Amino acid sequence: MSDNWTTRLSEYLDETLPPAERHALAAHLSGCAECTATLAELRRVVAQAQALEDRPPRADLWPVIAKRIGAGQVVSLEPRRRRLSFTVPQLLAAGIALAVFSAGGAWLALHGRRPAGPVFVAGTAAPPVWLSAMQPNYDRTVAELRGALDESRRSGRLDSTTVRVLERSLATIDTAIAQASRALALDPGNLYLNQHLAETMRRKLDLLRQASGITQRT
Amino acid sequence: MFVPTLALAALATLQQTDTTVAVRPGSRLEIDNFGGEIAVRAWDRSEVRVHAEHSSRDRITVSADGQVVTVKASNRRGMTQSVDYDITVPKSMALALSGTYTDIKVTGVEAEITAETVQGEITVTGGSGYVSLKSVQGAVTLEGCRGRIELSSVNEGVTVHGCNGDINAETVNGDIELTGIESSAVDVSTVNGDVTFEGTFRDAGRYRLSTHDGDVAVTIPIRTNASVTVSTLNGDFEACFPVPITGMTPKHRFTITLGSGSAKVELESFNGDIKLRQPSQTECRGVTKHKDHDRDDNDDQY
Repeated sequence: MSDNWTTRLSEYLDETLPPAERHALAAHLSGCAECTATLAELRRVVAQAQALEDRPPRADLWPVIAKRIGAGQVVSLEPRRRRLSFTVPQLLAAGIALAVFSAGGAWLALHGRRPAGPVFVAGTAAPPVWLSAMQPNYDRTVAELRGALDESRRSGRLDSTTVRVLERSLATIDTAIAQASRALALDPGNLYLNQHLAETMRRKLDLLRQASGITQRT
Repeated sequence: MFVPTLALAALATLQQTDTTVAVRPGSRLEIDNFGGEIAVRAWDRSEVRVHAEHSSRDRITVSADGQVVTVKASNRRGMTQSVDYDITVPKSMALALSGTYTDIKVTGVEAEITAETVQGEITVTGGSGYVSLKSVQGAVTLEGCRGRIELSSVNEGVTVHGCNGDINAETVNGDIELTGIESSAVDVSTVNGDVTFEGTFRDAGRYRLSTHDGDVAVTIPIRTNASVTVSTLNGDFEACFPVPITGMTPKHRFTITLGSGSAKVELESFNGDIKLRQPSQTECRGVTKHKDHDRDDNDDQY
């Protein structure tokens, strides 16, 4: 990731480069293994993004959520090709995020549920594109999973010790998300911060899904 | 409600069940124990021996159906009491162990192992092929394993020693400690805890060690060929040996190239320090240091 072409790979992929630059980059790719590998990674991320709407939820909590929200309210999104114009760091972060959010978030195109407030702190800079794109579905999925967890606690299906452990861990993750969000607001192009935030948000979803799985088992 | 339950439990006497069944090669043991302990050992016989200590109100059944041996506790009146299993299996027998309020311990099995519990520790010595150990409220410890390894806890640490294979480990509140590792692919992360790694970095291997609140300490053998990317926002970097810092991309992230740089190593800590040392170095006085975070110590900027 050390040459000048790296930052143009996204445009190359989107076929928005002027012809001369496109040819020059194509020639460069034939001799640069690093850029070729990065381009392959970007292609993989974009392919994931394009498949986003079509993926069924993999989490076992889906029946619970479907029941809670009413299956009739679930709207299947029209498959369509997406054009993504992210930066390289954002695309890589999005790759992490997509792998998680696509599991259930895209299917939760529902009405009537008010998502939790945005993670990103308003004020300093606009949130990265990938985060803006993901946030509504992410918040909705988290809200549904939290609702399921609260219900498990109320009904006694999860004992108080387990709930306490889960709540403590969720609080730890929320703090990390808040810190990473604030740092990213100050430095939106930072690859590490993009990846770290996406990874930490994924961790929260995984933990909530795990909690749902425990509830079902017990 | 609690007192009558205790009184009823006291009326039930402790009972032991001891059963041995013959098994075919390639068989798998499945057991789900709601509360108590599952201890599994290996022997050279083609038999499974199940020794259980349980309430006299509970009944233990061992059934062999084709390639699967299933151990179950049942109670005509509802839920079973705590059961402690001491099970001996062929070395090559795959294990699928699960529980809720259950400690799980496995020794000497050289086959696939999956173990999952909610409140309990998991300790495994051995394992081969796919090894997956998951606990919510309990430490996870694995030693002497070969294969694809997936470990997770939520509120405790994860420890791996003397293992060979792809390793994926994570926890939320807890340390991750890897020692004596031979692997081409390591991906471990915690949110609130330290990460320690001591092992080889193979050419073309990929390694990612990450924490949010905690330090990352890595022992790197001499003559390692690795490109090490260091990312820390609020912490310091220190190497106990001379390292060439290259590829200083914007703030908080830089690259160190060791040898040919073949292996890709990512070390990340949002709030903590990152430290490299070589195997012989017991004490580190920081030959190479780097500090570019935006805040002074104790300044909780983020």
